Amino acid sequence: MLKRNLLVAAVLVASLVHTGEVSAQTLSYADAVTKLADDCGADIQKLCKGLNLGGRRIADCLQQNAAKVSPTCKSSLSAVFQSIGQREHAQASYEQVCQRDMSKSCSGIKGDGFVLACLVKKEKRVSEECNQVITDAGWR
Amino acid sequence: MTRMLSKTVVALAAGILLPGLAFAQEVSQERIVKGLGKLTAAAPAIDVEILRQEAISGGDKPMSALPNWKRIAKLPQMVLEINFENDSVAIQPKSYRTLGLLADALHHPNLWDYKFLVIGHSSATGDEKHNLELSEQRAVAIKEALSTTFAVDPQRLYAVGVGEHLPIEGTDANASNNRRVQLINLGVFTKKS
Repeated sequence: MLKRNLLVAAVLVASLVHTGEVSAQTLSYADAVTKLADDCGADIQKLCKGLNLGGRRIADCLQQNAAKVSPTCKSSLSAVFQSIGQREHAQASYEQVCQRDMSKSCSGIKGDGFVLACLVKKEKRVSEECNQVITDAGWR
Repeated sequence: MTRMLSKTVVALAAGILLPGLAFAQEVSQERIVKGLGKLTAAAPAIDVEILRQEAISGGDKPMSALPNWKRIAKLPQMVLEINFENDSVAIQPKSYRTLGLLADALHHPNLWDYKFLVIGHSSATGDEKHNLELSEQRAVAIKEALSTTFAVDPQRLYAVGVGEHLPIEGTDANASNNRRVQLINLGVFTKKS
């Protein structure tokens, strides 16, 4: 099950890289929403007055008003939410994907932060999948 | 845009309410992680409703003068600034980044074990009841944005609005930097079944 998910994720990442929509490295949440603010800020304040970032309201509003949304915003919108989704996925799957590397290279280390620091330090000995998840999660 | 924009500052609780709490300083994910991660002792159990009532009945007393607030006043904290549209729960696009940085920090392994109290404040200008409601709605809006758009587990976040009560010590109650949202590290999060 996990392997299949990983495969799907890998294919997804590969196809994204090929289409050039997002780079292999995900944006941080901060960078993703900064792009949203830079490229869509004017549209949001004009078309989505009073709406907030939570509950997909901004994304939905911009989609519903697609005809009036600026081209720059339109092209950024999918990239921004794709990157947020990809990062969320990486963060959620980190413990599973890196499990083997944790017990192989960082056993005996207590505390999630210290375990992560260990995996980052031992990057060269850590599996490719685990390294990729750490990168996508933005923890390097 | 020349109209007045209301300003809210997010304070992330880390350490003591230092007199030198720096407002609107250069924020980074690293800074938030460091500031909020320094929990050195067990955090006390809290009841959000009791805190709310205590803040309202406490008038303009500072946090340190209220018994229940005092218990959490020394937990990890720092200050960020988030701007809202005037009289609205809508966060201005220019403040999305700050919220994103906060989300990045909350997803960091150093912080992901902890739960946080989001406290909405307002300045002392305007109607007291309205200020109280708006500060509550803004705290809830921040919690909602973090837990939906940024996938932070909502069970890790508690939101409470205290309006113009609990002014930040050492600041002018009418000053815009007193309209803020504060985050306090409430200790280790254990998932409810």
